[in-house]
Amino acid sequence: MTRRVVITGCSAITPIGYGKEDIVKSLRHGVSGVKPLRDDGLLTEYIHSRVFGTVDYAIDYGFSRTFRKTMGPVAYYACQVAKDVLESSGLEQDFITSGRLGVSFSSTHGSPTVQRDIYKTFFSNSKKEFSSIGAVDYLKSMVHTTAVNITRMFGITGRVIASSTACTTSSQSIGLGYEMVKYGMQDAMLCGGADEYDTTTVAVFDNLLACSVDYNDTPEATPRPFDRQRDGLVVGEGAGILLLEELEHAKARGAEILGEVVGFASNNNGGDLILPNLEGITATLELALADAGISAAEVDFISAHATATKMGDVIEAQAIYDVYNERPLVTGLKSYMGHTMGACGAIELILTLYMMEQGFIAPTLNLETVDERCAMLRHTRGVTDRQTHIAAVQNFAFGGVNTCLLIANGLHE
Amino acid sequence: MMTRNEIQEKILAILTEDFEFDNPGLDDNLRDDHGFDSIDAIELLAKIEKMLGFTLERKEKEQAMSIRTINDILDYIEAMAASRKS
Repeated sequence: MTRRVVITGCSAITPIGYGKEDIVKSLRHGVSGVKPLRDDGLLTEYIHSRVFGTVDYAIDYGFSRTFRKTMGPVAYYACQVAKDVLESSGLEQDFITSGRLGVSFSSTHGSPTVQRDIYKTFFSNSKKEFSSIGAVDYLKSMVHTTAVNITRMFGITGRVIASSTACTTSSQSIGLGYEMVKYGMQDAMLCGGADEYDTTTVAVFDNLLACSVDYNDTPEATPRPFDRQRDGLVVGEGAGILLLEELEHAKARGAEILGEVVGFASNNNGGDLILPNLEGITATLELALADAGISAAEVDFISAHATATKMGDVIEAQAIYDVYNERPLVTGLKSYMGHTMGACGAIELILTLYMMEQGFIAPTLNLETVDERCAMLRHTRGVTDRQTHIAAVQNFAFGGVNTCLLIANGLHE
Repeated sequence: MMTRNEIQEKILAILTEDFEFDNPGLDDNLRDDHGFDSIDAIELLAKIEKMLGFTLERKEKEQAMSIRTINDILDYIEAMAASRKS
């Protein structure tokens, strides 16, 4: 038995805004959310990359202490977007607590802010300091902290999936949530991911020579996906969540259908844990089309992973060309906000949904001169008004994990 | 050694400011009336240790798990203080 899975709600906190109106405005006007890296009093002075995709606006959370006590910064993001979606969904409380609604949500590695404080205590080598480790530090920092803070806040009793696969964390969360509903395990799933401001992630990519370093004085000019002058990724923060629901369930309660998840694939390169792999990525894109039962010619738009690393963009461009030729428009949405890590798949899918609904496609920011090795694609070079019927959202992660999600604008006919 | 009134004043301040209790009453049920749970109990014990100025033994901490009201907390603190005095 397979069932159709529709999207009946979404919310995102991103470096280019919170909520549809802000985000669409930024996409239409080419606003970047990349800002100077903040000093964390630890590592920042040694990091070469001085830029970060930053959520620098205040969010009025209003969570009571009952919930705050188990939440690190990343869980605040997660619970806020979950609250947005549940409050606007119209779902009955009886359904929310019925066991038929699950959560598939995670982050790259829990809350690094809380983890750092725990390590500081460990390395202080003092009995007095040791006792300062709070009773809730683990709950705030564990890898599934986002998912279970969501279940706790809303009394959700269905399945919990916490896929922590670095940059494919939330695209896998969505894909696995889609499969839960498609195969009848759950009737609805809250799916997505979040990551908080974290300089240790910047340090890791910096040491791998993967971070952007040439635009420290002009943060908005980086990252530059597919551009000849790109020099690496920019780490970012944020959160994105989708409510996936079985089609008949959504129809029966008169829910607005924003889109349909028509296909998903995830595989592994089966070898190197860092280098992008053409065969692995190409296979993912083909597997997603097979899952959806559609041809490559039906896909109008591709949200590329496009981190702006030197090799990653070239391999992805080749994979897109091998599967789709030059037909669909391609945009690298990380050009607006950097790489939001565990949140990127969900955020990029939500941005794609917004653009589909509004009938436009935003261009890749900072794409001035296309790298000749990426030039065979149909890059979005300016705000383009057009109706998109089916879009592909591609994400790839350290560890050789690849994902591709295919979504339709409204119901797929 | 602090008087019971002094302990009460400090505990009420902690419960109101740190645990965000609304109008705490001395015989309120901590869990039912204020949503106080096992996580809160551990956090409160850390604050009680600071107040007493010494570290509680594991067995002593386990005794605290039967606390149900603010009056129970006050009894507990007095008993712990007295045990070190003797």
